[in-house]
Amino acid sequence: MADFEPKIVSFLCNWCSYGAADLAGVGRAQYPANVRVVRIPCTGRMSAKFFLAALREGADAVWVSG
Amino acid sequence: MDKCIACGLCAEKCPKKVSDRYNADLIKRKAIYVEYDQAVPLKYGIDPTNCIKLTKDKCGNCAKVCPTGAIEYDQKEKDVKLSVGSVVLATGFKPFDPKVFDTYQYSKFPNVVTALEFERILSASGPTKGHLVTRSDDHVEPKKIAWFQCIGSRDMNKCDNGHCSSVCCMYATKEAIMAKEHNGDELDCAIFYMDMRTPGKEFEAYYENAKKKGIRYVKSRIHTINPVPGSDSLEVRYVTETGQIDTEIFDMIVLSIGLEASSDSIALAKKLDIDLTRSNFAKTTSFDPVSTSRPGIYVCGAFQGPKDIPESIVDASAAAAAAGESIASARNTLTKKAEEIVETNVRGERPRIGVFVCSCGTNIAGTVDVAKVAEYAKTLPYVEFVTNNLFSCSQDTQDKISEIIKEKSLNRVVVAACTPKTHEGLFQETLLAAGLNKYLFELANIRNQNSWVHKNEPEVATEKAKDIVRMAIAKVALFQPLEEAELQVNQTAMVLGGGISGMSTALSLSKQGYKTHVVERSDFLGGQAVKLFQTAKGESIQAKLAELVSEVNSDSNITVHLNTNLTDVQGFVGNFESTLTTGGSAQTLKHGVAIMATGAYPYQPVEYSYGKDPRIVTSQELDKKFIENDPAIKDLKSAVFIQCVGSRNSERPYCSRLCCTHSIDNAIELKKRNPDMNIYVLYRDIRSYGEREYLFREARELGVIFIRHSLDSLPQLSIDGGKIMIKTMDHVLHRPLEIEADLVSLATAILPYRDETVAQFFKLPMNDNGFFVERHAKLGPSEFATDGVFLCGMAHYPKPIDEAVSQAKAAASRAITLLARETIHTSGQVASVNTALCSSCGVCVSVCPYSAPSFIEEGRDAGKAKINPVLCKGCGLCVGSCRSGAINHRGFDTDQIFAQLFTLNEAV
Repeated sequence: MADFEPKIVSFLCNWCSYGAADLAGVGRAQYPANVRVVRIPCTGRMSAKFFLAALREGADAVWVSG
Repeated sequence: MDKCIACGLCAEKCPKKVSDRYNADLIKRKAIYVEYDQAVPLKYGIDPTNCIKLTKDKCGNCAKVCPTGAIEYDQKEKDVKLSVGSVVLATGFKPFDPKVFDTYQYSKFPNVVTALEFERILSASGPTKGHLVTRSDDHVEPKKIAWFQCIGSRDMNKCDNGHCSSVCCMYATKEAIMAKEHNGDELDCAIFYMDMRTPGKEFEAYYENAKKKGIRYVKSRIHTINPVPGSDSLEVRYVTETGQIDTEIFDMIVLSIGLEASSDSIALAKKLDIDLTRSNFAKTTSFDPVSTSRPGIYVCGAFQGPKDIPESIVDASAAAAAAGESIASARNTLTKKAEEIVETNVRGERPRIGVFVCSCGTNIAGTVDVAKVAEYAKTLPYVEFVTNNLFSCSQDTQDKISEIIKEKSLNRVVVAACTPKTHEGLFQETLLAAGLNKYLFELANIRNQNSWVHKNEPEVATEKAKDIVRMAIAKVALFQPLEEAELQVNQTAMVLGGGISGMSTALSLSKQGYKTHVVERSDFLGGQAVKLFQTAKGESIQAKLAELVSEVNSDSNITVHLNTNLTDVQGFVGNFESTLTTGGSAQTLKHGVAIMATGAYPYQPVEYSYGKDPRIVTSQELDKKFIENDPAIKDLKSAVFIQCVGSRNSERPYCSRLCCTHSIDNAIELKKRNPDMNIYVLYRDIRSYGEREYLFREARELGVIFIRHSLDSLPQLSIDGGKIMIKTMDHVLHRPLEIEADLVSLATAILPYRDETVAQFFKLPMNDNGFFVERHAKLGPSEFATDGVFLCGMAHYPKPIDEAVSQAKAAASRAITLLARETIHTSGQVASVNTALCSSCGVCVSVCPYSAPSFIEEGRDAGKAKINPVLCKGCGLCVGSCRSGAINHRGFDTDQIFAQLFTLNEAV
């Protein structure tokens, strides 16, 4: 497991976490590239179907932030 | 500045390091810099006093590396002349510099920091990336931190700042809570204070919660800090409440520095010829709290007096209203109409997607192989056209994109560049210019969330960029042109409540040209103010109130409805229909906005034998004696004020904010009328925030005696043989004290009306204490989450007249942002119901915070849900909650998000 690199799908709220991810860029924070972001209008938009779809498509982890 | 794309190459190559003021000088920045990451506009600037090129004509690195040629060394300060009708001063404050205090050794000891420095240390974007460590060379995590309150505040002795800075008790509490969150519960946090001042909305609960979290509050002013030999820790000596001298060792000491007027603001005030207060803030009156002494010049925020964010936001809106009132006739005389371009109908067409991959100079292309990404995009379904731009946001490229859309008949567009948060609107304009519906667009964020954050992994970043572009293309292919709902705003306002707040908001609306109806349930205008004597600034409330009432009554734009209740409300923002019932007769009022100014009322005490003896009165009843010039006052030998009667207890765990100042003011008035009277104020914490602190000082100088008690040792009042005797504990001598009083004035709590009916009509939330809950505690204090409904005065929270008037103007200001537009277009990205699938379960109706869904009342679909696009904010809560899958989310629809996820597979 030492080399295990999880593939992460993140659902980020447009108003906070998505903006924070942008700011991480402005501040040139460096982080691993194994995360793919799906922008959602609010975490209220999140649905169990999206978790399941992401996992079925091969994600090891799903991160919802908002 | 137009050319700078904030790529940061200039700062990377700049050789000159300068102390970073934004990070409280804890780290260095370059001589070319952006002030902070969130700066708007995000543009680099040169610090001319430190730039080697500008000071010594050497270097010039930044101009050499700038990819857009944005560096111009010969830019000079320019004088610009503007012709304006109103001026608003929002120049803020200066944090107090504690270097003048030798007691606290701020300059000498590394672990004595200011609260601002501590804020930066706690911040994720700060010098330690949010890791809370000491300032010693070893940067270890502190085990014990102390906060010292009132540094540069409430201190005439050392720094001439006699005022209370209003915000430090709360920010110290917040910092202590955050410090514990960062470093764990075992971190010991102690706050050394004089009076704990948490008189704002929800502040008292926050303070109580901090105590529960183990934060220690020590009532003591520190007089000595000694270094601990062999370490950078600090020994603190202080006197405890019982008079003992105690010593404690802390790893860090945070100085809670106060707010003061900056010398620049003071100089500006002189130049503008406006009056200043004793602490050099802009002088205003209670009934015109944002108007300076010079007509046409207004002030808001901390230059009007030390205040926190919500108050500053209230002031800001109020100043906008005041500035607008005096120049209302000029509204819209300088506006230009945008050219309208006819939209091409692309509905039903097969998707023809154009993909524009941006290099952003070297910002993207320096890491991501943009040519590869572009080549890859060409292989994806429905993609008709792909190109690479050096700078997609430049005006010539925008024009080019627009031309290409028309030339290639593109009907969907993806730009792979920066973030939609800053650039979506810009590219949507480009689509509009090409006659394409602006919602047929998606930004693929390959800069902020890719090239910038994976700088050292160009290949991985290129693969990630491909994924991001592929996901965007899959999503945009499913986009449909969206329509924006159009809303006509009825130009009439309804104000509920005819007190000072209601009247002030009505007058502001009227002065800006809007018909306003004031609905008052009682038979008079003026609310609680009819019983009040004078403001903290010494203005006669009755005289000003009479002026206000007569102004309202003679205003042709204002209709007053006395003895009137609101009995029904239909409709929504822009188009409300309210039923007003006066006596037995009802009338309908159509209005576009509603303002809640329903006020609050004083608690009738059961404590302290109130009602059993005419000498025991409430603050308002004492005011009445002053208004009526009661001659008996002159003969009184002693008076006792008792604070927090019904406030800050388990039943009402909030501070009523205005009672400390009210009692102090009345104590001074008694002393003025009878200097020989013995006056005692029995208090828990004196909360004379801001420049009200001068009144507290004045009262003490006049000989008023302040005696402190706590919630578990309240004063005892007895009436014995015609004598009123009050027993309390002297907090200095620690001995019981008995006072005979000829007059007892009880500072009673302020209670909200808790009007459930009105709250139901407009779907307005109330907090546990019964005050209305605003849209946002800090950023939306004068409006509700419900569109078109606004809030001011004591219905929001207890407040003195100046703050009530300020919020009244603020509510008018917020309302006018709607009224002034007459027609509003809402976003196209909203939810809509497919009634064929709707099972009428009502989940959407109950979860929506904006009341957008409702049940269809008649016709074939009666009982099913519908969503009002005007009220929908597009959050998608109903879409995620709908168990039938009956709600579509335009722009973020389920199939569109699925399309992104289904194209993940190559990515993950």
